[in-house]
Amino acid sequence: MTEQDIIKMVNEVFADSFEIEKGKLKPEANIFNDLGLDSLDIVDLVVALQKKFGITIRSDERVRNIRTLGDIYQFILIIKKEIGK
Amino acid sequence: MGSGASGLTLALLLGLNGRKVLLLEKASHIGGSLCRFYKEGVPFDTGFHFTGGFSSGGILTDMLHVLGFTDSVKPIFFSAPGAVVFVFEQNGAVYDMPSGMENFRVATHKYFPNESAAIEEYFNRVKKVCQSTVTLDLRKIALSAEPIDEDFVSLEDTLNASTANPILKGLLSVVCLCYGTNPKEVSFANHARVSAGLYNSVARIENGGQAFIQAFRDFSVKSNITILCNTTISECANVRDDRVGEFILDNGDKVFADDCTFTIHPHEIIKILPRQHMTKAFIERVSSLETSNGFFSVFGIVENADPATFGPSITSLLPTCDINALLDPLYTGSGALVIVRSIEKNKDKTYCVINAFEPEFYSRLKQWADSKVGNRPPAYLEYKERKVNEIRERICKAFPQYRSNLKILGAASALTFRDYLFSPEGNAYGIKQKIGQFNLFGKQSLLNIYVAGQSAILPGLVGAMLSSFIVARNIIGKEEFSSFIEKELCN
Repeated sequence: MTEQDIIKMVNEVFADSFEIEKGKLKPEANIFNDLGLDSLDIVDLVVALQKKFGITIRSDERVRNIRTLGDIYQFILIIKKEIGK
Repeated sequence: MGSGASGLTLALLLGLNGRKVLLLEKASHIGGSLCRFYKEGVPFDTGFHFTGGFSSGGILTDMLHVLGFTDSVKPIFFSAPGAVVFVFEQNGAVYDMPSGMENFRVATHKYFPNESAAIEEYFNRVKKVCQSTVTLDLRKIALSAEPIDEDFVSLEDTLNASTANPILKGLLSVVCLCYGTNPKEVSFANHARVSAGLYNSVARIENGGQAFIQAFRDFSVKSNITILCNTTISECANVRDDRVGEFILDNGDKVFADDCTFTIHPHEIIKILPRQHMTKAFIERVSSLETSNGFFSVFGIVENADPATFGPSITSLLPTCDINALLDPLYTGSGALVIVRSIEKNKDKTYCVINAFEPEFYSRLKQWADSKVGNRPPAYLEYKERKVNEIRERICKAFPQYRSNLKILGAASALTFRDYLFSPEGNAYGIKQKIGQFNLFGKQSLLNIYVAGQSAILPGLVGAMLSSFIVARNIIGKEEFSSFIEKELCN
């Protein structure tokens, strides 16, 4: 899975599951201020990402540090690499 | 919304803290599966038969104390020899398990002398999970619990790593039948949390769940709690600043409330919350939570039995030690059968009661799902009669001395439970507690909506009540609530 695949799939989660306009989905977009998620949406986001990528995400420090869409791309990339090992 | 163990507990906690409470219940009576019913004057339990947590200093004992129920909700322990017995029918092995985690551990060693390393590892891990689960201590429910490694590994993988003995694996995972999630799907942590309570003590309540309901009623008349049955919320309206302004009931009345807590099945909650205030991701997450199994129950009495030697006991008949199979809707063999013997009293009469129940799956009843009580098709009635006869025969095989005096007074399928208790699919434990899933619990995106109940953190009476203590703390305020708990526990 390439970085481009990950970006595309993460964006699909935001467009499909959170009904956010595709034009807003830029790496620098803050998921709270720009995309309108709240802290309780994070659980739904984690569940949707788990399903989309077939991975298990522990709600650890790394999830709590996520602020932008770009942070999510990087986070999924790292998790995918960890599984690859 | 919802008046099972969770709803009653929350209403009381709020009432005890001076709040005005409106308790809504869709059924015609409060109590959910705590209710009892009477057949020919004999009291029978519907959904609540036994629980852990009643030992001294146990979480349930503490919660009941805070509610002021110590004198009215009294445990009857299953502690005598023969009180908790597991029979593995494939090889006829009988395991008589004593009360107390330490005794249970020692007995397991005695039954499986060649498996000491696996047994030690299992009980040490169970203890480790309990020590790191702060919510099991009423004074510490404030502390948010970080997930531990055991939250991410299944019971099955944990057992497979330490033993190849299928019977030992069956015995250590048999508690799955008491919470409805199979060993492949449940985390070791959640299994340990429920099991530890049952290892420490198994008890029923004198006069069943009805004692809890009666204690609630006694309190509610002298407090600010209004009970409304046959009623549900049909709409959350007038949403402003992420708060629901008014709750419209199905009788058309409008209710203005500061907060609303749902203790009903999560799938029912998303039918009531306003669609435009839920993301698709939220709806998908909640919809994907899987409903647990129900039970087929048979209610009977043994006439002319001697009450002095009639239990109380729980005898579990296990046709296979593969607990995954016993909780699999596609499994077609004979099911696990739990036989509870107890002495019940009603109006100076004493009865030797037998309640036997077997896991039952909605997917196998779907052909009759559209029918209602009193209007079931003949094929369903035949199914029910066949089940009753099968179960009667198994009871008589386990207790041959009752063969001529066992009188079956009634039976209920998951459809019966569904229609009497309004439990979706006739489920017994809300949703399945599967590994890596995020339950619906606590404050929601609509800021005056909360969720509690047995689907929130842990199934059963203890889990349902505990979720309400945590939500009550949110609503009442952290400091006020902890001084209330401290005061009541010292009282």
